[in-house]
Amino acid sequence: MTTGFWHQVTAVINRDLLRERRRGDVLWITIPFGAIALLLVPLAIGTDAILLRQIGPGMYWVIVMLFGVLVAVGKASSETLPQQDASALLGLDPAAGFVGRAASATLLLLIFETVVGLVAVGLYDVSIVGVPWLIITLLIVAIGLALLGTLTGSIVNSTSAGTALVPLLVAPLSVPLLLGATQSYEGLRLGHSILSWVLLMAAVVLVVAIIGVLTARPLQET
Amino acid sequence: MQAQTLNRRWPWVAIVLSLTIAFVFAMISPAADSLQGFERVRIMYVHVPAAWLAYLAFFVTFGGSVGYLITRNLRWDRIAAASAEIGVYFTGLAIALGMIWGKSTWGVWWTWDARLTLTAIMFFVYLGYLALRRTTDDSVLRAGRAAVLGVLGAVQIPLVHFSVIWWRGLHQGPSVVRADGPAIQDPLMLTALIVGVLAFTVVYVSLMVKRIELIHLEDRKAAIDQSIERPVAGEAVTVPDLGGSS
Repeated sequence: MTTGFWHQVTAVINRDLLRERRRGDVLWITIPFGAIALLLVPLAIGTDAILLRQIGPGMYWVIVMLFGVLVAVGKASSETLPQQDASALLGLDPAAGFVGRAASATLLLLIFETVVGLVAVGLYDVSIVGVPWLIITLLIVAIGLALLGTLTGSIVNSTSAGTALVPLLVAPLSVPLLLGATQSYEGLRLGHSILSWVLLMAAVVLVVAIIGVLTARPLQET
Repeated sequence: MQAQTLNRRWPWVAIVLSLTIAFVFAMISPAADSLQGFERVRIMYVHVPAAWLAYLAFFVTFGGSVGYLITRNLRWDRIAAASAEIGVYFTGLAIALGMIWGKSTWGVWWTWDARLTLTAIMFFVYLGYLALRRTTDDSVLRAGRAAVLGVLGAVQIPLVHFSVIWWRGLHQGPSVVRADGPAIQDPLMLTALIVGVLAFTVVYVSLMVKRIELIHLEDRKAAIDQSIERPVAGEAVTVPDLGGSS
């Protein structure tokens, strides 16, 4: 497999999406789990419509952060050590592997965000405002979570704690994304500019992407 | 023999001496502050040095992580690991003391101020770093993975430091390192604070020396353990006696 970088990225994306189509981890497990979590919250805190409308957007983003990590990690840590060795022997560029896994996780996260978002709109009566900026926010959050999940998934892969450790690593690091996402929605609702929040999230994405690409080879060698 | 004992004990002697000096300075500095009042101001002499040393410790972890990724020398990993452990301790101390001070001054244990929140996040990031290290037995494997997280986690350090400048909150802004000079007017208070920082730096260096030494010994022990051939099941399992003639 001594082809170009982007060809390798495409191959990894295709492989991951094919695996997801066969196993359906995200579609049949993570998305329903996220929807159930949104259903449980009102049962615990009360079903007052005004209160739910207020907390709905925040709850949605918290669910996206906590459950979205599972989507990204599932893709990153699903490779066994022999599979990783085989990929390395085939000449797969570790950076291409990282970008490919993060890209496929991004696509799955976008599906997750959309379905869970519709559930949030239905259950919490969340209003959809500023659609173009909202789409940009959803996209950046998906890319950011995918990168963080893929990177930490690679770090913990085949450790004794396995993926159990990932939420502890990703949750604190994803705080800028959570802040950016919630504040962006609030800004859109009030008609304010959200450019600064979008730039903050984009900066986080850029930093994680650079670290992920630069450390892909050292991580593969360990 | 005496030289060996001295060599072994100097970190502890240095810690006790430096903390005693810092304690004396903290006690002789003026107690009453027009805003903070009474004795609670003395919490600052531990809280501020602890927070500064936490930054230093995590920055050293970052340096050690980068050093390991470049050189693949485990010495850098030991520096990073030891520094992260001490940094987590200092961060926890700074948060705990800040909460005690906050309760008596602001009336609440915790407030959603940017500095407080980001410090708590930094604390959890490095707890994750230490948890990651515990999940991998192989020292080379552990060093590589921890180094990546050590680099990633360092993004938090400038965020925490500059949070009081970038966001308005309850936490006060920089008091000592400022373009227009220190905000603390009383020279004795300022001296006590600087002495506190120096004393905590001595504590940090001393603990680093001992911890690096200990990690080195742990790695050597692990290597010896791995080199010893042991029976797979051990003596707990014996060959079953099925009876009959042999």
